Amino acid sequence: MTDIDEALLIAWVDGELDEVTRRRVDRALAEDPVLAERLETHRRLRVRLSGHYAPIEAEPVPPAMRALLEESAKVVPLARPATPRWRNWGIGGAIAASLVLGLGIGHLSGGSSGPVAVRNGAMVAQGELASALDTQLASAQQGAAIRIGLSFQRKGGGWCRSFEGQSISGVACREGEGWQVQQLVPGAGQATDYRQASSGDARIMTTVDALIEGAPADAAQEEAAQAKGWREGE
Amino acid sequence: MSFESDLLAILPRLRRFAASLSRDRADGDDLCQAALERALKAREQWQPGTRLDSWMYRIMRNLWIDEARSRQRAARTFAPEEAGEHVGHAGDRDVEAHVMLSDVDRAMHALPDEQREAIALVLVEGLSYKEAAEVLGVPMGTLTSRLVRGRGALIEMLGEAA
Repeated sequence: MTDIDEALLIAWVDGELDEVTRRRVDRALAEDPVLAERLETHRRLRVRLSGHYAPIEAEPVPPAMRALLEESAKVVPLARPATPRWRNWGIGGAIAASLVLGLGIGHLSGGSSGPVAVRNGAMVAQGELASALDTQLASAQQGAAIRIGLSFQRKGGGWCRSFEGQSISGVACREGEGWQVQQLVPGAGQATDYRQASSGDARIMTTVDALIEGAPADAAQEEAAQAKGWREGE
Repeated sequence: MSFESDLLAILPRLRRFAASLSRDRADGDDLCQAALERALKAREQWQPGTRLDSWMYRIMRNLWIDEARSRQRAARTFAPEEAGEHVGHAGDRDVEAHVMLSDVDRAMHALPDEQREAIALVLVEGLSYKEAAEVLGVPMGTLTSRLVRGRGALIEMLGEAA
């Protein structure tokens, strides 16, 4: 007579038992051939089921499914229902720039210095990232290693810009003469030589939503702000 | 890595899951294709940093449940006099496909939906109980009792040797 029920037996087979419980079951199995036979039945069932469906995983992907994914990867998602209008920033001038060259930020900023430094306890942009934030306009950045997403005024005043690169993406806001990085997330990655624009990271969009006052700058407003050195006020 | 190439990487497993839910391979691939289309449309809802495979399992499973329900409704609406003969089956297609199906396919197909999906996620896809319970949106205890009942039924259908 044992206290090992069916649920414990199958949890043993599924590898779900902690060490202590597994040993308890093992001891009961050693003493009870009937129980051991039931466990063996459950183990055979698992092997038979997984073996039955395993060949499907090894098959080549059907052409229709592959084509569906490949077609989708080529298309910049133009329609994004139920998102604010300004999120379609990728459409206008950026269509021409929809392929972003896959240059790592590190290569251009001279390696050791990197795109971000910590000064007085705050992350600040430097090197290539700082100059992209200073000078690059979202409407004209074909081939740029770092791509500017949105330029916008934050609540309480001051300019912020979202950016996207191969190794890092994020949001930075103007503080004095520099750019304080508000958020940093891994970039588009090194997996491919180029990638689609307009695939804004959801985390960055959340940060922009939290910071933004009104609508993001259009091309003219952005250019004017850049000409004034991103100082506050219109 | 793009969203699409991430999907492509897990596609072999998604097809396997679809096949284990569906009555035959063709239905499985239809389900898988529909799940991909749904995922591409709903891509904004996926949270980067969370598991894409779990998200896809959930999409596929929900499509499958919806489809199973509408099939049952159609069966009740259009063929009430046959209901007694074909409970849980889709009529004469069943007879045609019967020849092609193995013992395992038939046994899986005979399980109630909630047992079949639990068995598919844990025994075929190799998910942990915690992961499977999350995909199905049920407590762990519910999942394990479905696994116990589903396995009992399979062993009975497939014979003691399983």
